[in-house]
Amino acid sequence: MTDTRDTNIHFHQELDELERKVLSMVDRAEQMVEMAVQAVTTDDIGLAGRVIELDDGIDATYNEVHQGWTSLMARNQPLGSDLRRMTSLIQLNVTFERMGDQCVNIAKIAQFNEGLPRVERICEQIREMGDLVRPMIRTAIEAYVRGDVDEARLLPAMDQPVDRLNANMYKETVAVGGNPQLLEWATKMLMVSRALERVGDQAVDFGEQTAYLITGERAEFVEEGMAGSTDDRND
Amino acid sequence: MTNDTSTDETVAAGKEETTAPMAQLPTPNEPHHDTSTVIETKSMNVYYGDFLAVADVDLDFAKNQISALIGPSGCGKSTVLRSLNRMNDLIPSARTTGEVHYHGENIYAEGIDPVRVRRTIGMVFQKPNPFPKSIHDNIAWGAKVNGYKGNKVEMEQLVQEALEGAALWDEVKDKLNDSGYSLSGGQQQRLCIARAIATKPDVILMDEPCSALDPIATLRIEELMLELKEDYSIIIVTHNMQQAARVSDKTAFFNVKLDDAGMRTGRLVEYSPTEQLFTSPKEKDTEDYITGRFG
Repeated sequence: MTDTRDTNIHFHQELDELERKVLSMVDRAEQMVEMAVQAVTTDDIGLAGRVIELDDGIDATYNEVHQGWTSLMARNQPLGSDLRRMTSLIQLNVTFERMGDQCVNIAKIAQFNEGLPRVERICEQIREMGDLVRPMIRTAIEAYVRGDVDEARLLPAMDQPVDRLNANMYKETVAVGGNPQLLEWATKMLMVSRALERVGDQAVDFGEQTAYLITGERAEFVEEGMAGSTDDRND
Repeated sequence: MTNDTSTDETVAAGKEETTAPMAQLPTPNEPHHDTSTVIETKSMNVYYGDFLAVADVDLDFAKNQISALIGPSGCGKSTVLRSLNRMNDLIPSARTTGEVHYHGENIYAEGIDPVRVRRTIGMVFQKPNPFPKSIHDNIAWGAKVNGYKGNKVEMEQLVQEALEGAALWDEVKDKLNDSGYSLSGGQQQRLCIARAIATKPDVILMDEPCSALDPIATLRIEELMLELKEDYSIIIVTHNMQQAARVSDKTAFFNVKLDDAGMRTGRLVEYSPTEQLFTSPKEKDTEDYITGRFG
């Protein structure tokens, strides 16, 4: 076995192409997180509209990947690391499509909140959450591309401050007081916080897929010191 | 071994001269034997003349399980299979060293009757090879030459049981006197399985039993294997990895290794539960083979 050659090259080329498509979704989702946070914290309705348009692209890719995956599976019945890669890709396809949906949720809230009074402190927290979540997505992408399980295992720790900020947002919402318009705005921002927290969880899921792909063992990453936290990634 | 399988099986069925005294092969369920393992090879080597075809094989096959042997052409998987019931004895240049234990007894020990070994450890070949006889006589004659001594009523019962066991009875019960050759390929293979069952074996070896069959006939044989494992231990050589993945409990992967002198010898690379071997194999060679990255 010194001279290893790929006798399954056409399958592997198609698999590579499928993987590129799936990763293009998460690249786009990362960009959409930034845009959605900016839109919702600055009342930028135009930017919110562009987020929604970008999601149409993610949805189209999701369907393409699903179709390509089914065809590839039917024609090749892959085994070993090819099988693990295939199962990871179909899972990631769903994860990234949902990341896009969370960004759309935020964008729609930006549209809804336009013109309502706002609390800058809450906007800052949302921006901070966005600034924490985007590097998580980037880390997850790089861990996958490099096949680096140790890097993927950093994700639960990166997710902890996101969870803390999300938990704190309830208090911030209650603290806005009795102004009905402000309360309406803040309640919607609570949903934005929740959407960003979900995106963080999805980045952790991505890391878990990478670990499975490399090690062949399925294991949920544990967020150390977060027992009893608001970690509800099974939602 | 497609052209001479009839000869092999005819000989295996009892025409070979038996010079060795009849030694006692263990019966499967004797309490002092470990019934969880039916066959175990220990440092088994098989040579064809001076050529070492497969080296240093340590394998154990579990009772009432289907074990698959897979690997590229020339890796020695069929050679290993044929060594498990001394079928290789029929090839003049073949020589087996090491030990093959059947319920703890070395089948290569002096005094062991190879015909008795082959009756206890039956074989089904790649190409269906019914005898040029009626469907009924394929079973009855095979049983007779293997020493079956039952009366006519018992023989009819044996024929029916064997054909039922091979899931063929319903299709042939009204034409038992038709030639075995009148059956389709898949039916012929099930007839051969029925013939193997009729000798009341403990283990059934199958050498690529579906490679000459269409997908539907293949599916029926695979279903049959899953039924047969309730009563028999099955060891199958297959080129079809998906087949191994579908039917087997444990899978052994063999590969060809070049030695310093440029000789290509088959070696056991990995023997794992089938699910593990096909999803997360331990060895890189296995991974390369099952994903098609193979030199």
